[in-house]
Amino acid sequence: MRCNPTRRTFLKGTAATAVLAAGGACSLGAWQREQAEAAGALTSGPSLCNGCSSKCGLVATTRDGRLWTVEGMEEHPYSKGTLCGRGHGTAQWAYSDGRLTQPMKRVEDGSFAPISWDDAFAEIGAKVQEIVAEAGPEALAIIQDPRPSGKYYSKRFMNALGSANVYTHAAACNLSKESGIEQATGAQNFSVDFANTKMVVFIGRSYGDAIRPSSVKSLAGAAAKGARVVIVDPRLNNTGVFATDWVPIKPGTDIALLLGIANVLVTRDLYDHEFVEQHAVGFPEFAAQVADYTPEWAEGICDVPAATIEELAESLAAAAPACAIEPSWRAAFGCAYQNSFETARCVCAVNALLGSWGQKGGALLTSSPKAGDLDPAKFPKVPAPASPRLGDEEYPLALSGTGTNLAVLNGCNDGAIQGVFFYNSNAVQGYAQPAKWREALAKAKLVVTIDVQMSETALESDYVLPECTVLERLELPEFIGGKKHYVALRTPVLERIHPETKPCDEIFAGLAEACGVGQYFPFTVEELADAQLASVGTSLDEVREAGIVELTDPEFAYGVPTFKTPTEKFQFTSEKVGTAGLNPVIGYVGRLVEPAEGEFFLVGGKQGIHSHTMTMNLEALNAISREYGLERLWMATSDAESLGIADGDTVEVESSEATGQVTVKVTERLKPGVLFLPTHYGSTSPYLTRAQGLGINMMDFVPLHLEPKVGSVMSQEVAVKVRKVEG
Amino acid sequence: MARYGMLINTKKCVGCYACRVACQMVNSLAPEESFISFNELEQGSYPNVYAEVVPVQCMHCEDAPCEAVCPTHATYTTDSGVVLVDEGKCIGCKYCMAACPYGARVQIEETGVIEKCRFCWYEGEPGNPPRCVNTCISGARIFGDLDDPESEICREIARTNAQPLAGNLTAAKIYYVR
Repeated sequence: MRCNPTRRTFLKGTAATAVLAAGGACSLGAWQREQAEAAGALTSGPSLCNGCSSKCGLVATTRDGRLWTVEGMEEHPYSKGTLCGRGHGTAQWAYSDGRLTQPMKRVEDGSFAPISWDDAFAEIGAKVQEIVAEAGPEALAIIQDPRPSGKYYSKRFMNALGSANVYTHAAACNLSKESGIEQATGAQNFSVDFANTKMVVFIGRSYGDAIRPSSVKSLAGAAAKGARVVIVDPRLNNTGVFATDWVPIKPGTDIALLLGIANVLVTRDLYDHEFVEQHAVGFPEFAAQVADYTPEWAEGICDVPAATIEELAESLAAAAPACAIEPSWRAAFGCAYQNSFETARCVCAVNALLGSWGQKGGALLTSSPKAGDLDPAKFPKVPAPASPRLGDEEYPLALSGTGTNLAVLNGCNDGAIQGVFFYNSNAVQGYAQPAKWREALAKAKLVVTIDVQMSETALESDYVLPECTVLERLELPEFIGGKKHYVALRTPVLERIHPETKPCDEIFAGLAEACGVGQYFPFTVEELADAQLASVGTSLDEVREAGIVELTDPEFAYGVPTFKTPTEKFQFTSEKVGTAGLNPVIGYVGRLVEPAEGEFFLVGGKQGIHSHTMTMNLEALNAISREYGLERLWMATSDAESLGIADGDTVEVESSEATGQVTVKVTERLKPGVLFLPTHYGSTSPYLTRAQGLGINMMDFVPLHLEPKVGSVMSQEVAVKVRKVEG
Repeated sequence: MARYGMLINTKKCVGCYACRVACQMVNSLAPEESFISFNELEQGSYPNVYAEVVPVQCMHCEDAPCEAVCPTHATYTTDSGVVLVDEGKCIGCKYCMAACPYGARVQIEETGVIEKCRFCWYEGEPGNPPRCVNTCISGARIFGDLDDPESEICREIARTNAQPLAGNLTAAKIYYVR
């Protein structure tokens, strides 16, 4: 694939070494002018996008070494030949003026000053060893948003130091949903077989707003084939173009809708007897409990008419098993409400009643490949830490692979955590209320952030270590599961722009050495990548060249899957949930915060061009937000009229935690009584010049409170008042 | 000779801006400069609402008002129906900007030239397909020869009854499914 820029034949008729303008972000005019000068050569190479956690395959073309274009990789199962706007925008990160270009240290007056890598490593190492000596390694923690190298190196580094405190961003993402799915099915996620589905119900999730190209294509394909696509959301989101039905719902009450559907399926005997009898445990208890959840009861809670609930249940039953409730991601029950974990279990329960697990057109559990065992002489095993991870006892239902990172926030406050590392994570701005994070991190003895830009989290750190950007670095192989198995690679297609930036692996190896555990990192990323790839039958050279390689066919077949639960069956009841002190039987849990008279629900969500707060300062993407006023707060037309607010007015939003001003978008696409705020905005970092001050940050408004036993941030348990700001 | 056109199916467009950013990259445009603009429209009232995003760019009109008013003939149409700008002839008078009913002409700050979408024209041919089509995540865009009845675009225009945005106003060659 390398050196083949005409793979997609954009430059029809030109050879691989086409004559084009030399370097530079020259304007179109200059570009045209320079075409004739026959300078510059094109080179193409494969890599992986870092615009979101999908990590789509891409092919980058450089012109005299400078990035010119990116295309979606045809062979990659997530990009399937295309990239979203965010993918094109984040590919340009290397040239952004908002990058960190050298290590920084916070000095006495609170500002940041440059420091050499050697000094930064040495000072961090000394501080880490001091903390370990005084409080033990369990006083150290790392939080990271998983990336191919980052997830490996951050865990290995922390474990080598003797701490089990490794967390992902999940408590502010999909922790509740995946933990709930795990208790019901043993898997942490599932997919809908869109190619064959007759009916799919989305609960809050929007493929058109939180984009993975392959998901959008699958849905577009299902819609074109006449599948019924139901969107349950207080907002008519951008997936609406593919929807047959929009069911506006009171935020945080999706669980009532699902239980109402379950009630109809059970009481009218529309459920799959064979599945519940042969492949499930706890159905009698569930059926007894669900008898109370009538459609009328559900209507009273979720404000969806009982007749609609009945019709949805009957249509699903008619379509079964080629139908499913979609699993969602962050959306309505990833981490949003007190009942998010239970909502995820209810989604699974409805799919069980429909008998759709594993069936053509239904809800599929697929497998994932992983690297095999490596030579311990070359890649020494790290001993398991002695103490359990902080937070696991209080939040026993949190997914073991992610934990709840908010245990770190609480740990800083009570002194249990004294040293915190962040990798590729802007926890302060997005994982819980920023003021609470700042207060907590101020108490830690050491805070280190590894990032490409001066995020709000970096600003609260003692040391900030600059990583090179996505297309400048090689990372470990990324294994991709599904009906087919693949392994793909993020390879550097650009020379490193800023010499004082380093890739993740070098940063962690340097930190480990300085902290006295360098013996666990006696290998390069290339050696580790090659060994991992050899363990699945390929090699670094092969995957580097191709970008992606298909692995041994897992021979996916339709049929009821093996549920990897303790009972090896689908679980309408979970012993672990009961042991945690919650109702073991899948049932109803309400939302926590109810708006008082005159208050609004506040819901958040993604926009297709941004990934949380990470992309807000990127030139190409920020320009779109500004041109189209994407930072605006959505308000229903009828609410705006009664408050005397017009489109474009500025309003003040107030919760128990914060006040802030933002422009309003008045729309018919929103349930009255609900406000929608995109969750990317309101940066406070003066280093992120074009992101700072654009819009408001939803997390400022949300009280700090954790979902019981799961530990998610409950990011939408908030009520707000709104008033017009007189201009 | 081919007669190139495009179909944009707004019933598949989720408004992801991939076309805009891909276009900016291939044409080396500044972040604030774009050949594609987006109109977000709502019809009906809650809860019976239809929302659509309508991307707009140069329509490569057969009766191109921008070409007709250009005092230096900088704007011209190729034999294959693609409307282009000869930047050496453009004096930046913006007459074309005023004449274009679609607001598709864009002044490039660095050069002053009034540019626009050119179907990724390069060395005598348009892109195959242009980048906005190539990267569209939902397949909402189709590019092809309007004179070839067997082409995908012609079949899809017929199947969907796609129409130019403003009827026969300028004999535009971008067809919309709405």
